[in-house]
Amino acid sequence: MPEKIKVIVNEDRCYLCGGCAGVCPTLAIEVHSSGWEFLQDKCISCRICISACPVGALSAEPLEVSE
Amino acid sequence: MKEMKYDVVVVGAGIAGPIVARNVAKSGYSVLLIDKKPAIGTPKQCAEGISIKVFEKYDIPYDKRFINREIYGAKLYSPSGYELELRYKEASGVILERKVFDKMLAYYAAKAGADVLARTEALDVIRKDGRIAGIKAKHEDETVEIHADVIVAADGVESTIARKAGINTYAPPHEFDSSYEYEMLIEGYDPDLIHLWFGNEVAPRGYVWVFPKDEDRANVGIGINSDNPQTAKYYLDKWLKENNIPAKKILEVNVGVVPVGGFVKELVKDNILVVGDAARQVNPMHGGGMAEAMEAGTIASKWIVKALEEEDLALLRNYTTEWWETDGERLQKVLKVRKVTEKLSDEDLDLFIQILSGADAEKIAGGDYGEVIKALLKHPKVILSPRRIKLLRELL
Ligand SMILES: Cc1cc2nc3c(=O)[nH]c(=O)nc-3n(C[C@H](O)[C@H](O)[C@H](O)COP(=O)(O)OP(=O)(O)OC[C@H]3O[C@@H](n4cnc5c(N)ncnc54)[C@H](O)[C@@H]3O)c2cc1C
Ligand code: SF4
Ligand code: SF4
Repeated sequence: MPEKIKVIVNEDRCYLCGGCAGVCPTLAIEVHSSGWEFLQDKCISCRICISACPVGALSAEPLEVSE
Repeated sequence: MKEMKYDVVVVGAGIAGPIVARNVAKSGYSVLLIDKKPAIGTPKQCAEGISIKVFEKYDIPYDKRFINREIYGAKLYSPSGYELELRYKEASGVILERKVFDKMLAYYAAKAGADVLARTEALDVIRKDGRIAGIKAKHEDETVEIHADVIVAADGVESTIARKAGINTYAPPHEFDSSYEYEMLIEGYDPDLIHLWFGNEVAPRGYVWVFPKDEDRANVGIGINSDNPQTAKYYLDKWLKENNIPAKKILEVNVGVVPVGGFVKELVKDNILVVGDAARQVNPMHGGGMAEAMEAGTIASKWIVKALEEEDLALLRNYTTEWWETDGERLQKVLKVRKVTEKLSDEDLDLFIQILSGADAEKIAGGDYGEVIKALLKHPKVILSPRRIKLLRELL
C-alpha cells in the first residue's frame, strides 16, 4: 500500500492547463475555470498527477489519519 | 435555475467540438456548443502546426486571420548535431494562430446555426430514468440544465464529462506527454521549416521543437513522457541554456499534457460520444491532435445526423466502428512505431539521421516507411548490430 497522500497545488506555478485532471485515474482533480480543486476522498495516492505536471506545480503531503 | 433543450449539446470548443457543432447544425438540428473559457481559444495549449491539407478536407476557409506562416518542410537534429532536411517546393503546412482559429471554428458553428456559450462549464451529467438526459453547467454564478438527445464530450485532455458519463477514457501514465512551451523571439533558424531536436538527454521519448510564427518569433517547446521524474519545463530550460539561446523575450508560456496512446475503445455509450483529445485521438509519434480531432469530429457528426434523421440513437455506435476501421487503425500502427523508436539510443538516432536522405524522410512522412526500413537493414552500420536489426524488423 502506498503512503496515503494529500496533493497540494502551488497556485503561483499552476497554469490551470488541466493536465493533472486528465491523467488522474479517479477524477480526484478538477480544473475549473475558477481554479484547481482536489477531492481527497477519490484520491488513491498514486502520484501520477505529480509527475505529469509540466511545471512541477504539484507536491504531496502525508495525509494525517484521524484516529 | 435556467433550463434549455437542444437536439445536441457539445462540451468543449477546441477543435473537435466546433467541427461537430457546425456539421450537425448545417443539417438543421438544434445544437449548443459550450466552453468553460471566457474567450474561446485563449489561452492556447499548442505549437500550432498543422498540415495544409486540412482546410480543403474539413471545409475550413484558408483565412489569413489565423495563419501565421506557411511552412515548407522540416529539419531534424540528432543528439550529436547531425541534420536531416525535408523541403517541399510548395507549402506543406501552416503555423496557425490558435486563439483566432478556435474562435473562428466556433464562429463557423454559430453561422451554421449552432448556439455558442463561452464561460459555460459543464459540471456533471443529468441522469433521468437510467439514462443521461443532458448536462448540468455553470455560467458565471448561474446553474444551467441543458437537456439534449445527444451529448458530445469534446472536453480535451481532462475528459471529465466523458468520464462522468461512464465512458472509460483511462490511459496509463506512460501514454501521456507533458509539454511546456515559450512563444518567444528566437533567431538563427530557417523560418520556412519546423525544427525538431531528438535525444534521450534532450527530450526523453519526445523532442524539442521550434515552430516559426515570424522571421524571428516562434513557438519553442518540448514534450517528454509524463511519467518522467523531471518536468518538461526543466528539460526545455536546460536545452535553451545549453544552446545559448537567450530566454529573455518571452511572449507567452504554454503548458499542457497530451495523450499519445491509449485510444478509447468504446467511443459511444448510449447517447454520449467522445471526440478528440478526450478520446485520446492524437498521433502518438508527434503529439499532434488537431487533424485527428477534425477527422473524429467529422465521423461523429455524420452518425449523429443519421441517428437524428432516422430517430434511432443506436446508429451512434457506428462512430466507434468507423473510427476504429479508419483513423484508429492508422494511429494504432503509428503507436507501434513510437514504441519501437522509444527504444532508440542516442547513437542510434545519430546513425539514422546521418544515413537517411531527404527522400527517405519524405517517404517516412508519407507513412511509406517499409521501403526505407528495408534499405536501412542493408546498411553496413546496421548489419553489424543485431540490436538495431531487431528494432528495425519490429517496424516491418
Ligand atoms: C504544448 C502543446 C503543443 C501542441 N502542439 C500541437 C501542434 O503543433 N499540432 C497539433 O495538431 N496538435 C498539437 N497539440 C495537440 C492539440 O492541441 C490537441 O490535440 C487539440 O487541441 C485537440 O482538440 P480537442 O478539441 O480535442 O481538445 P481541446 O482543443 O483541448 O479543446 C477542449 C475544450 O474543452 C473545454 N472544456 C474542457 N472541459 C470543459 C467543461 N467541463 N466544460 C466546458 N468546457 C470544457 C476546454 O476549455 C477546451 O477549450 C499540442 C498540445 C500541446 C499541449
Ligand atoms: S498539470 Fe500542473 S499546471 Fe496543469 S493544472 Fe495541473 S497543477 Fe496546474
Ligand atoms: S495522486 Fe493519483 S489519484 Fe490522487 S489526485 Fe494524483 S493522480 Fe489522482
